Amino acid sequence: MIDVFLVDDHQLFLSGVKAELSQVFTLAGVSSDVDDAIDQIRSTAPDVVLIDVHMPGGGGLAVVGAVLETHPDTKFLALSVSDAAEDVIAMIRAGARGYVTKSIAPSELADAIRRVNDGDAVFSPRLAGFVLDAFADTVPAPSDPELDQLTSREREVLRLIARGYAYKQVATKLSISVKTVESHVSAVLRKLQLSSRYELARWASDRRIV
Amino acid sequence: MRYGPRVSLRPQGFLRVIPCWVVIDAVGSFSRNPEEESISDQTLDQSPQRRFAFVRNQDDRMIAGLSTGIADVLEIEAVYVRAAFVALAFAGGIGILLYAILWVLSLDEVPPERVAAMQKRFAARLPRQRLALWMLFGGVFLMLRSWGIWFGDSLVWSATFISFGFALTWSRVDPSRRSRWATQTFTGEGGNWRSVAIRIVAGGVLMTGGLAMYLNSVDANALVGNVALAVGMTVAGIALVLGPWVWRLVGQLGAERSERIRSDERAEMAAHLHDSVLQTLALMQRTDDPKSMSMLARQQERELRGWLYGPEPSPDGETMRSALEGSAARLESAHQVPIDVVVVGDAPMDDAIRALVAASGEAITNAARHSGAELISVFGEATGDTADIFVSDQGKGFILDETDPDRKGISESIIHRMERAGGEAIITSVPGEGTEVHMSVRRT
Repeated sequence: MIDVFLVDDHQLFLSGVKAELSQVFTLAGVSSDVDDAIDQIRSTAPDVVLIDVHMPGGGGLAVVGAVLETHPDTKFLALSVSDAAEDVIAMIRAGARGYVTKSIAPSELADAIRRVNDGDAVFSPRLAGFVLDAFADTVPAPSDPELDQLTSREREVLRLIARGYAYKQVATKLSISVKTVESHVSAVLRKLQLSSRYELARWASDRRIV
Repeated sequence: MRYGPRVSLRPQGFLRVIPCWVVIDAVGSFSRNPEEESISDQTLDQSPQRRFAFVRNQDDRMIAGLSTGIADVLEIEAVYVRAAFVALAFAGGIGILLYAILWVLSLDEVPPERVAAMQKRFAARLPRQRLALWMLFGGVFLMLRSWGIWFGDSLVWSATFISFGFALTWSRVDPSRRSRWATQTFTGEGGNWRSVAIRIVAGGVLMTGGLAMYLNSVDANALVGNVALAVGMTVAGIALVLGPWVWRLVGQLGAERSERIRSDERAEMAAHLHDSVLQTLALMQRTDDPKSMSMLARQQERELRGWLYGPEPSPDGETMRSALEGSAARLESAHQVPIDVVVVGDAPMDDAIRALVAASGEAITNAARHSGAELISVFGEATGDTADIFVSDQGKGFILDETDPDRKGISESIIHRMERAGGEAIITSVPGEGTEVHMSVRRT
């Protein structure tokens, strides 16, 4: 069983998700406050932390940053109503392994948690769109081509995800294995986190809305 | 008038000055002693670990925020403390020295409970004790004079009168203090206007007295012929007396104006929330069907998002992105099927893009009507030379050849439209798995 920890400052949402997930996962703990969450996650060491992006006191970003400093193996899945590009990109760059919106269906959420626990990245169609936009072709002379550009295969995978394809369908469409799709997506995630492209940050801050 | 322009005091005339302070004290806002030495005395005995426990107030400061810090503890207005410092500064520079010393001894931060405790102690002080503190101030003042730490009678007295007069006209009366003061001074009566008028008159008299005293001491003959200077002095005097009042009035008008703007904004927000969000919530409570409930929620979410974060949406859509999102939103409401739109890049509207968006609208409509899918995914991408839109669903699917001839939508509205625009449409459909329509145009 996967140990899941929930962080959200909206009690209503928290209790809803708790009820859904407790049937499928072990609940390591629940917190609705940034500092408390950091302490509790450090002491309970859960497998996956489901974290809200917008919270008073620094938000999900503060929690992800602080926990990864001491417990780098903790896996974070960001959850938000925001859907704004800057929030999404900021969370991923801070170290979250995926991003889903709060309107996600319970079964898909459980799926995403399993995937994150396996070490894979979880890209929703919207996140795939953001990433494609952020790594647009038109950038002149990237400083680190290895990290600052997506391969054409990665681009293809992201496009299919953005079109609403599940990983399995992407694999069928491209005649590759699901594992290969997952490794492409993880590579994209790594580039997103490590790339020094200032365009990424600028792009995200230019985009107030989606 | 107890303090005339020609007041000339000897040290032994000490008693004659007391009435001045009594008057000022009675006139009101000196309900606390603004004099520094006594403050330190007070703080000395009750704070074992730190002797000087007032905190410099960084938010409201002229120099270091020291006066405000002292005033905070005494619950008086900072302007009185400043006046005391100014007056003492003319007493041989003692005020400046004192300020420097207190600056060094004061703290950046003080626990709020200690400030509260000190305020409580000062609040409990009797008028008699306050009078004693005032006399102490006067005594120290005159002592300095007798020791010769002094810049000369006319200058020091003028400065003292002017600064305290200024402080008096500048001070505000807050509601709690006003009531206390009114009961003390006017036997239960006394409105705002009365107190303001009295303070302005008293402050004006003090300032005029101080000014006159100063002018009197300098060579009067030099002034006689100088009408301009006399007029200037008069104007300056009036400005000094009425200035604070006018200034405060202007400030009040400004505050009222910004308050009005804020309340207008609140009203607009409330109106919007009422029109949209509350209506939708009411509608949702009356709906039993979970599907239409979630459609309502989606629609409302989109609207609210657009209102909160979005720029003013133009009715026709200026770009491919806004046009596609707008069209998807309309179709979602019309057909009650969730439509997820992801757009990468953007392109300005031209005939080709317009045809592309229109054709994708047809594709979405087809999917919503016939596929039976629970979700329709729309992906648009505009790159350097092409623009693509994919409309996919995971619904029933169909075999292209068997298409009902009535459903001209696909061939006419999608394929032919794209061909006329110089692009193409490719339809892939597998029965039982779903349909995808890929439309693309070359950008001009």
